Amino acid sequence: MSIQEQYRSRAKELLGEGSVKMVIGYGVGTTATRRRPIFITSPDETDRLVLDASCRTNLAGYLLREGLLADQKSIAVFLLPDGVRALNILAAESQLATAQIVVLGFEIKGEEVKPLEGTAAGDFSAIIAERKEQRKAQPSHEMAVKLEEMTPAERFAFWEKEFSRCIKCYACRAACPMCWCRRCVVDNNQPQWVNTSSHTLGNLEWNLVRAFHLAGRCVECGNCSEACPVNIPLHLLNGRMTDEVLTAFDHYPGADEQQEPVLASFRKDDPETFIL
Amino acid sequence: MSEPFEPKIVAFVCTYCTYAGADLAGTSRLKYPPNVRIVRLPCTGRISPMFILKAFQKGADGVLVSGCHPGDCHFDHGNYHARRRWTAFNALLQFTGVPEERVKFSWISAAEGIKFAELIDSITEEIRTAGPFEQYHKLIAETGSAASV
Ligand code: SF4
Ligand code: SF4
Repeated sequence: MSIQEQYRSRAKELLGEGSVKMVIGYGVGTTATRRRPIFITSPDETDRLVLDASCRTNLAGYLLREGLLADQKSIAVFLLPDGVRALNILAAESQLATAQIVVLGFEIKGEEVKPLEGTAAGDFSAIIAERKEQRKAQPSHEMAVKLEEMTPAERFAFWEKEFSRCIKCYACRAACPMCWCRRCVVDNNQPQWVNTSSHTLGNLEWNLVRAFHLAGRCVECGNCSEACPVNIPLHLLNGRMTDEVLTAFDHYPGADEQQEPVLASFRKDDPETFIL
Repeated sequence: MSEPFEPKIVAFVCTYCTYAGADLAGTSRLKYPPNVRIVRLPCTGRISPMFILKAFQKGADGVLVSGCHPGDCHFDHGNYHARRRWTAFNALLQFTGVPEERVKFSWISAAEGIKFAELIDSITEEIRTAGPFEQYHKLIAETGSAASV
């Protein structure tokens, strides 16, 4: 039985026995490799589910749709390991209770999709721990290395050019499972923190604020870079923030649901190298 | 002849330590450059990175963020939280090419009037040498508004 069939029948079972009220998974999209999220509530619909190497979107954010979890019923969701990490962070930030979530975990190795053992968020701690070690050993992105080698003026010019294309559509925010604030600071107008005009100044401010607010919370799922209509390399900013929290605070975002948010906790002996 | 360049520096300080340190510098009649505009906050932990961006948005050439030494926070741990935020935000600023001399972080206690005066002296000099923050001023000019610190 293919993994897709396996997961379809799993979903059918869950819905059929009534242990979940909904399955959030992937369905066919508008092109051969595009997948779109689907929300299934009947066991008769489970053959719409697709599971293949194109299923890369992090679906965790859909769980926060207003009122969805209010009735205390359970929901099953297809998640890659990054998605489980997102789930852990959302639980740590009191946005949901993992007890209500049934994880349909899988991973993609090359072009191969593999099942992951477990149903509760906590069942995936071994693979997440493994991921942490991989992330620590992972060489920096080629462009990130180039950027570090540039002078500050060159770096500024690089980002100025990138951010000049931003249209403040906030698709990056909408696509991010961690961007759950009801009212984003960028929408605040008293005071107006981020310049609203369609110029590079506000675009730069927005992108700095976005990256900063995701420092230590971003799971590097790639939803934002994928969503950005003008291909701003958001993953470089996110990656730099992840590097920083990993090296400075040994913080791997979403390790488990007990993990304290890195910018809402501290250690008295946290490193400080730049403070005069 | 054009006027010599006078840097505009905004200092975000906590009222219990650095502000009191600045006060001590004043009452001790220590001289320091008048280039710094001090904004007083109730705690180091209240100094949001948004303030730094706001200062630059309004045309600042440099920003100083300063609070109580670790262990000295009036509210016990506001500065420990701040330190983590500064660490992440500082890394982000460096990564996006904001020159290191434009944003400084320091601990200055209520007893360190001399440290305050000397630090203002040295960062003013450093920014005077670096010149106006042209890269940012250009972005402000594009929006049609003028730098207004
Ligand atoms: S910032 Fe981007 S990569 Fe990070 S969690 Fe959000 S969508 Fe995923
Ligand atoms: S998705 Fe891209 S263009 Fe849209 S607001 Fe985000 S960075 Fe800007």
